[in-house]
Amino acid sequence: MAQGFTLRERAVLHFNVADFAVAVERVADSSLRRRPLIIAPLQAARAVVYDMSEEAYGEGVRKGMALRQATRLCRGAALLAPRVTLYDKAMRAFVKELQGYSPLIECGRADGHFFVDVTGTHRLYGPAPDVGWRVRRQARTSLGINPIWTLGTSKLVAKVASRLVKPVGEYIVTAGDEERFLAPLPVHLLPGLSAQELLKLQEFRLTTIGALAQLNRHQLMVPFGRRCEYLHAASHGVDDSRVCTPEGKAEGIDYEHVFAGDINDQDLVEGVVAALAGRAGFQLRMQRQVTRRVGIWLRYSDGALVVRQASCKAGTSEDILLRELALTALQCAWTRRVRIRSCRLVCDRLQRQSPQLSLFAEPDLRQFRQKKVSGAVDILRSRFGHGVIGVGLQYPLASSVDDSAGFPVH
Amino acid sequence: MFALRVRSYYSLLQGTSSPAALCRQAKQRGYSGLAITDRDNLYGLWDFIKACRHEGLQPIIGAEVSEPGSKKCITCLVQNKIGYTNLCGLLTRRHMGQSFTLMDDVASLATGLLVLCRDTSLLQKYIEQGVQVAADLGACPSGPGRTLHTFALNHGIAAVATADSDMSQESDRQLSYLLQAIRAGSTISRLVQQQMMEDLNWLAGPEAYRHNFAIWPEVVAATEKLCKTCTFTGPDFGVVMPPWWGGEGRQPALVLREKAYRGARRRYGDDLGEPVIERLEHELKVIENMGFSAYFLVVRDIVHRKGADGKRKKRRICGRGSGAASLVAYCLEITNVCPIRYNLYFERFLNPGRTDPPDIDIDFSWDERDEVLADVLQDYAGHAAMVCNHVFFQPRMAIRETAKTFGLPDGEISRLTKRMPWVHSSRAENLEQCLSSLPSLKDQDLSPPWPEVLALAQNLIGVPRYLSVHPGGVIITPEPIAHYVPVERAAKGVPIIQWEKDGAEEAGLVKIDLLGNRSLGVIRDTLVAVRAGGGCLDELTWQPEDDPATRMSVAEGATMGCFYIESPAMRLLEKKAGTGDFEQLVIQSSIIRPAANEFVREYVRRLHGGSWQPLCPQIGDVLDDTFGLMVYQEDVSKVAVALAGFSHSDADGLRKIMSKKDKVHRLQHYKNMFFAGCIRRHVDPVEVERMWQMMMSFDGYSFCKPHSASYARVSFQAAYLKRHYPAEFMAAVIANQGGYYSTFAYVSEAKRLGLKISHPDVRTSKISWTGKKDRILVGLQSVHGLSAGFLDRLVRARDQEPFHDSGDFFRRTQPADNEARALIHAGALDSLHPESNRTALLWQWASFQRLLHDKRCLSLFAAKLPPAPPLPPPDTKSALRREYEILGFLCDCHPVQFLPQQGQGLVKVAALPDRVGQRVQLVAWLLTGKLVSTRTGEVMEFLTFEDETGQLETTFFPEVYQRHAHMLRSGRGYLLTGMVEMDFGALTLTVDTIRSA
Repeated sequence: MAQGFTLRERAVLHFNVADFAVAVERVADSSLRRRPLIIAPLQAARAVVYDMSEEAYGEGVRKGMALRQATRLCRGAALLAPRVTLYDKAMRAFVKELQGYSPLIECGRADGHFFVDVTGTHRLYGPAPDVGWRVRRQARTSLGINPIWTLGTSKLVAKVASRLVKPVGEYIVTAGDEERFLAPLPVHLLPGLSAQELLKLQEFRLTTIGALAQLNRHQLMVPFGRRCEYLHAASHGVDDSRVCTPEGKAEGIDYEHVFAGDINDQDLVEGVVAALAGRAGFQLRMQRQVTRRVGIWLRYSDGALVVRQASCKAGTSEDILLRELALTALQCAWTRRVRIRSCRLVCDRLQRQSPQLSLFAEPDLRQFRQKKVSGAVDILRSRFGHGVIGVGLQYPLASSVDDSAGFPVH
Repeated sequence: MFALRVRSYYSLLQGTSSPAALCRQAKQRGYSGLAITDRDNLYGLWDFIKACRHEGLQPIIGAEVSEPGSKKCITCLVQNKIGYTNLCGLLTRRHMGQSFTLMDDVASLATGLLVLCRDTSLLQKYIEQGVQVAADLGACPSGPGRTLHTFALNHGIAAVATADSDMSQESDRQLSYLLQAIRAGSTISRLVQQQMMEDLNWLAGPEAYRHNFAIWPEVVAATEKLCKTCTFTGPDFGVVMPPWWGGEGRQPALVLREKAYRGARRRYGDDLGEPVIERLEHELKVIENMGFSAYFLVVRDIVHRKGADGKRKKRRICGRGSGAASLVAYCLEITNVCPIRYNLYFERFLNPGRTDPPDIDIDFSWDERDEVLADVLQDYAGHAAMVCNHVFFQPRMAIRETAKTFGLPDGEISRLTKRMPWVHSSRAENLEQCLSSLPSLKDQDLSPPWPEVLALAQNLIGVPRYLSVHPGGVIITPEPIAHYVPVERAAKGVPIIQWEKDGAEEAGLVKIDLLGNRSLGVIRDTLVAVRAGGGCLDELTWQPEDDPATRMSVAEGATMGCFYIESPAMRLLEKKAGTGDFEQLVIQSSIIRPAANEFVREYVRRLHGGSWQPLCPQIGDVLDDTFGLMVYQEDVSKVAVALAGFSHSDADGLRKIMSKKDKVHRLQHYKNMFFAGCIRRHVDPVEVERMWQMMMSFDGYSFCKPHSASYARVSFQAAYLKRHYPAEFMAAVIANQGGYYSTFAYVSEAKRLGLKISHPDVRTSKISWTGKKDRILVGLQSVHGLSAGFLDRLVRARDQEPFHDSGDFFRRTQPADNEARALIHAGALDSLHPESNRTALLWQWASFQRLLHDKRCLSLFAAKLPPAPPLPPPDTKSALRREYEILGFLCDCHPVQFLPQQGQGLVKVAALPDRVGQRVQLVAWLLTGKLVSTRTGEVMEFLTFEDETGQLETTFFPEVYQRHAHMLRSGRGYLLTGMVEMDFGALTLTVDTIRSA
């Protein structure tokens, strides 16, 4: 280590808004605070629960449960349709609050989870716990939501601490205290463990994180193979992963559409895939990038997930080609006759669009014209929103202009 | 005009209408006859002939014959008897041949057939081969039709118009789409959107075809002319008895006489006595006169299989059905009860007035039955095949398949179909109403698209789905069997005829039923275990029905696990009767049937000395043996003879028609006869109606006395073995599987008998369960998830050398992951760890897998597994929960002991006899249940529960059932509240509330 530098302990804050969608809806309509709340697409006959309040959870309602069953379990619950754009807006508003304290903020997609790396910011904003208290206070006053906040020396420790105090509270794990903090806790509080791993741990009666920490790497190798490294480190509270901003994390373009009810209407699914391809194409063109692979992730009604991809060597950002690739992938993914619950389109293997213009006239006049049409459509979309124009095949994905009504945004 | 190429729903997953519906439509539309030509089969031949007879239409017999792997298809219409034989041969070749092409395989079997064809190359070939052909132009002129028409003109053959229809009316289109989606394994919407639905025709009226073919009017005339050459209206074989080829020139009647007398001397000793000789002579005379001697000898040869040494060895059997009333059959050892001792009525089996062939049904041990069938099919190769079952869509299957074509996931479909036990008898108008009214589906979500699914599924019910093999019916014919009926190969590999048993009977083909019976396997295995343990039991002199201890067990209803008498209703009846003797058991096993509850109560009352009068003075003493009650099937005949003056053959006809599916029309004829006969004999009309209703209670499910007596014999053998060798018996019951109860319930019963259940152990357990003295060792067959290959490896490795430790076991048996874990959780590896620590064993299995992964374990010498870290054994509840998941029962305790509700105020089952007349609350485990309908049509259920101290029969009356049915599941614990009741010594609980424990 170079002389003159001292090793500073990392300070990672984790903010978690429990039942995020519910919390946001309760901000938008305070009358909802007095009763259980279930959020699910209401117009669909076979809708499933998107999110629910703590009271509804207590009655047995779970995410992904059939709405009919949920309403039977929790008869007094208020029902609301999900407003994903509103939740996205709320996420952005919260991030804006946090940006005042650190540029290193990691958040999920409309899930109410935020990691903030405040290492080395104490001279600017005071000790990390003060930041936690302050952000919560601000969130309460300006956004009307009450997040959990926890502080640890890593994302892992902070996350375990927030799982411990959920649904409300705060927790500070001081540096050097990680192992002592983790040891008595049940092993299922550790993030990143699969259901199968949890089952194995239970079978070996490794019920606490401390019991897991007793085993060395060599021993953990026996049942868990290469995962032994993670388990060993996690059980000792070691986590070197960085807090990544969404920009830093982005490795591809990703759009998802969850159908209100599950469907098996081929025209509709193809229309949605075409619409998702259109959005991806728009974003690619805005970023001046091309994709060489388009993946379709189909979630069936029984929970099965099938992923298939189609690729093109040269890379593209054109709607027509993207749609063809996406439909090819869809055809390979949709082999079962079970209904479809959601459809996700992922464009990866991105690269910069070549700025080099052709020396000669465009060889394909049709392609040239299409490019011009795309350009015109993009201008319209950037001015009036994505839903304003599209090709006939596309299914009009829910417009979200009015979704944000009632939520305070700076 | 005739309608040709009409496909019924026997063109599986293609046609939508029954032959009866098609004939009705054809008649209404003014056809004089029609040809139902199903794809590659004659499944519906008898339905078609019957429907034509009913509608007054002329049937043209035929079938479409397709070429496997291509879209080519021809239609064969039968012109005469030879043509029918050839069609059967052609269809058999299509299904059974190694390869089949329409180009090469048709000509040799085309005599007597008129072949309709749309393919010019085939037509050209057939013309060259001299086959009688016509060009099939379909339902209307078309482009290809024009080519065909020109071809026909050029070659001087007729061109015909055919309906080529799959539906009787246009409104069946939706059902047709559904069938196509089921066939394609797709969803309706995707097939429609992909435009993959086939173009469909429906059976239009003759004028439509005249109109369509107005440009070629000669086509309609040619069709008429050709149809008139098809004069064959159905086969008429008479009675086709199985041939006996073992006589070496001697008459079957002589051989039968000789064998019957030899058998009689073996059964009764050298001095036969007058009753035996008289009865034998009478029976032999009737059998010979009716020409059934060969039939008896064929059955005898099946039962007494010739071994490799040329000697015949008798298989373990149990004669069933009316055949048990024959002394000849008893002497030939194809039945096992003495008809003289038990007063069994030979005329029930054979009488000179009987026109239809009798059938002798034999039960073999379930695991020997396939071998018996294989022997028969081999001995009579080409002359024998099994009878098939036409499996129709039933409500559950119809809903399941329809829901799949709407893309609904399996789990959601199962949640509905597994809880719908009461659909058949519901009075609801449609399926949706019916399901909505089912108490067990009270909490079911029937939101869209379910209403649409159910509406469509409703139309699917009753449509044939596939062919299965009849449980044991074999047909043996003197000529090759394919001369009588098309034969195809079933999925399990055996040849089957294309008709089910009613069709075979209609054709006169005599069926022999060779059925599998698990209890014969139980008795065999118990006797082997008893002998292995030094016990001695001579089967020739064994008379279990005379053993007082056994009779006592039967009288106490302690017959769980005993063949035929182990159901809760039967055991309650045994307790109430309290006699335990053979004659009463024969009555009891017959009197228990649906809709006979009031007779059961009356029987018990009369048995215990209650006074009674004959049903009607005119009946006389014909029912005195059964306390004046109608108990057996033949009692229906007896009453018809005594009360209405029926002849014996008419009375037998009435009895027989009651068990048929399609009986309404013929039953009405017998009803009229019965009422007229009674009025002639001055019987009070009110009494006549009462008698008729009583006779109708035998509808569908009833037995004849010889059958019951034959089964009662096996029941007593089982009861004897249970009483004297409980460990060996209970082990055999569980090992042979398939009793009335689950393994869980049998294990509980074994514990109640004072037996200790030992965990499975890879060092000592056999694959099947074994019992000795007071201990039962769980067989490896009960460890869920073990493959046959693994079990084989395990036994072979163990036979070579005992397993030293877990590593040695894993290395030598190479289990799959789920197999090793299942064995560990079941406790089968406990003996391979010094402290029986299952957590450590799991770790060692993981170590073995890791070593295997690292390729270090494949050396010749066993790699030592590293010691496991100090891990605690599983806590008791987790260990038991896993054991229960793997085995389905607990060896040392009962799951009810771990239910949260325990303590004061709760009564144990063993204490209930002291609480008769009181309201009690108890925690118990649900074993099984039986739904019944009350007289007013309401649903109620009798459920069997148990705790660690005993078993309890409960009654859920309609109102209570209605409230709680949706939460009742076998294999769960419940908190019951109800009234303890005692009736003739039998204890029951009438439940008023129940909730999950």
